[in-house]
Amino acid sequence: MLKLGMPFTHFKTQMKRFSLTDLMSIRKKKFFRAPQWELKLAVRIFLGFVVLYFLAVFLSLGIGGYYLLTKHYPDTDPILLINPFLGFYFAVDLMLRYFFQALPVTEVKSLLLHPISKKAIVQGVLLRSLGSIFNALPLVVLLPFCIVFSIENGINFSLWIWFLALFCLSLSANFFTFLILKDNKKAAVFLGFLILGYLLDYFFGFSISAYFGRGLDLIYQNGFWALIPAGVLATSVVLAHNFLKKQLFLDKGLSKKKERIVGSNLQFFDRWEHMGFFLKNDLRLIIRNIRPRQVVLTGVLFLFYGLFFFTQDRYFDLPAALIFSGLFITGGFMITFGQYVPAWDSEYYSFLMCQNLAYRKYLKSKLYLMMFSVVVSSTLALPYLFFGSKVMLVIWAAGIFNFGFGSMITLYSGAFNANPIRLNIKAKAFENTQNFSFIQLVFMLPKLILPLLVFYLPYQFFGFSGGLLGLVGVGLAGLVFQKQLLTLIVKTYQKKKYQTLQSFSKSVS
Amino acid sequence: MIQVTHLTKKYSGKVVLEIPDLQIPRGQKFGLVGNNGAGKTTLFSLLLDLIEASSGSVSINGIPVQTSEAWKPFTAAYIDESYLMGYLTVEEYYHFLGNLRGVAKEEITSWVQDFEPFFNGEILGQKKYLRDFSKGNQKKAGIVGALIGKPALVILDEPFANLDPTTQIRLKKLIQEEADKNSTTFLISSHDLTHVTEVCDRIVLLEKGVVIKDIETTPETLKQLETYFSN
Repeated sequence: MLKLGMPFTHFKTQMKRFSLTDLMSIRKKKFFRAPQWELKLAVRIFLGFVVLYFLAVFLSLGIGGYYLLTKHYPDTDPILLINPFLGFYFAVDLMLRYFFQALPVTEVKSLLLHPISKKAIVQGVLLRSLGSIFNALPLVVLLPFCIVFSIENGINFSLWIWFLALFCLSLSANFFTFLILKDNKKAAVFLGFLILGYLLDYFFGFSISAYFGRGLDLIYQNGFWALIPAGVLATSVVLAHNFLKKQLFLDKGLSKKKERIVGSNLQFFDRWEHMGFFLKNDLRLIIRNIRPRQVVLTGVLFLFYGLFFFTQDRYFDLPAALIFSGLFITGGFMITFGQYVPAWDSEYYSFLMCQNLAYRKYLKSKLYLMMFSVVVSSTLALPYLFFGSKVMLVIWAAGIFNFGFGSMITLYSGAFNANPIRLNIKAKAFENTQNFSFIQLVFMLPKLILPLLVFYLPYQFFGFSGGLLGLVGVGLAGLVFQKQLLTLIVKTYQKKKYQTLQSFSKSVS
Repeated sequence: MIQVTHLTKKYSGKVVLEIPDLQIPRGQKFGLVGNNGAGKTTLFSLLLDLIEASSGSVSINGIPVQTSEAWKPFTAAYIDESYLMGYLTVEEYYHFLGNLRGVAKEEITSWVQDFEPFFNGEILGQKKYLRDFSKGNQKKAGIVGALIGKPALVILDEPFANLDPTTQIRLKKLIQEEADKNSTTFLISSHDLTHVTEVCDRIVLLEKGVVIKDIETTPETLKQLETYFSN
């Protein structure tokens, strides 16, 4: 019992440093207590291999890059060849960081009330941000490059100083990003500078990246100049630290951004009585929430997928490559958005389940949204006509396949996806995988292999146009049997209803 | 209105709810009380077919909820914030509900004006998304949303929690009026014994998944319950 007047000396006044092991244990629990964590583990392992693959690619880029440069330009120091492009690299790097880096608000909030000093919290945030994938890039590409350089030419101090300078700059980018994260104005100014730099380069031939490169040349020639990047890094750490410390209030950095209402005028859709409402809601879901916006942007990028294949002759004569690009161009949104049906509605799924709303109607509206997106993508693909009518035919045949049948498979696969999504929270780079379940991976196969089979079987007997007709035929069959297929899908969803509800009610982060 | 028969719910062998027989007639204001873990939310979830019963059945108006969806048109519920769609404005949310329950947009716009005293000017025309409302205001918006389209059965979980005192009193009045006007059946769970005994004409007390008391509300009910819970 605490008696009044008693001196408060028995209270602990020393704050415990929140240790790394505490943090690790929290993260471990978070992982193992998430829905479908067994599958997630499998995905993590698979992703591990993917990362290894990319690591190998980057390593070979670093190692091979050296030999490639010295072979083609034997008279010039390869470092001087790289330098002019690094400015551009850092610009892109900063932009990507801006989109993917986030202040871990909920985690910080829960730490605020505990006896952990604000300094420790900020240090924790800054320290953790170092683990970002963007910081690893210079290490996996530049480090091997420098090692190979050293092996071939002997140890060279100025080379390593150059490397450290670049690493400092990359880390500074990491810390500077925090300064613009919460501030739209600063971010706009920053973006403005990038665009201005690009325009100067493009129209007036005034390349900031080249000047930046000259600065790096200077560092390479005289190590003393490396003090500047080191100073920049130190400044960025101090600035980010002070800035974040000031942000640790509920009405500052931890506050929700005040939002303007967007997308309230969608009367156009009122003409379809029920369906219109669902389409309207889904459009609002996309416009008004961070997560779907991110996903849909990826879907839009798929529109440009064809540029990669159609511009290279060796792919141009490979039917599979053409079909693939056709499927991705017309189905980019369908695949990226559709694979998370019904998880998009996970925040209020139990609400939907007790409304006067038959499963069939709900699923049909999702299907129509996907089909609608295929029509839009196929229309937007019109500029591909530039590559010839053959390309255009492939794209539209793939479009019809996606329209009638691909959409069905995507919808069907959703029934097995029980990972909830927090709509208005930014996904970190590569952490989209939190909702990327093994099931989705399994369903990627029929989504991609099946259309290839549908193409190749008739292709063997009747040639190229026969293959395209196969795709169109299956797409149309999907339309004809839409009712029956939908019944099948509805049954699957109904069977999974309780399981889905339970998983969706588990909280996610 | 509601018929519960031999209903049980088990989680890994442990019985969390066991109700052999429970009938709730049309127009009754049914109050459900009990400590945490007594099974109140489990019962509501079973009534709304959100979890699967281990055995037994629930039917609303003679419709078995597990096999048919025909109970949905006249049933509404507000359990928690997950019954709101966070990225909509209140008006958009109401129009969506109206669309689901066959009420025209214009009708809702005028109908909702009647609730202005209950909203206390904090809900309508706010130009913000539901997710940005305070907990109490989310609850106000959700409860009124559940009344759209004059459902015959309304299920409210802890409607008094998080509300300010003025709104709690107004909510009691609101429930009375709705029940009188449309003979709506209300199922209300609450930890607030005073409010629930005042507004409900029947109280069922659950403990560890079993019905301990099933009483018509009289002036003595509150005392009885208080005695029970203080032991």
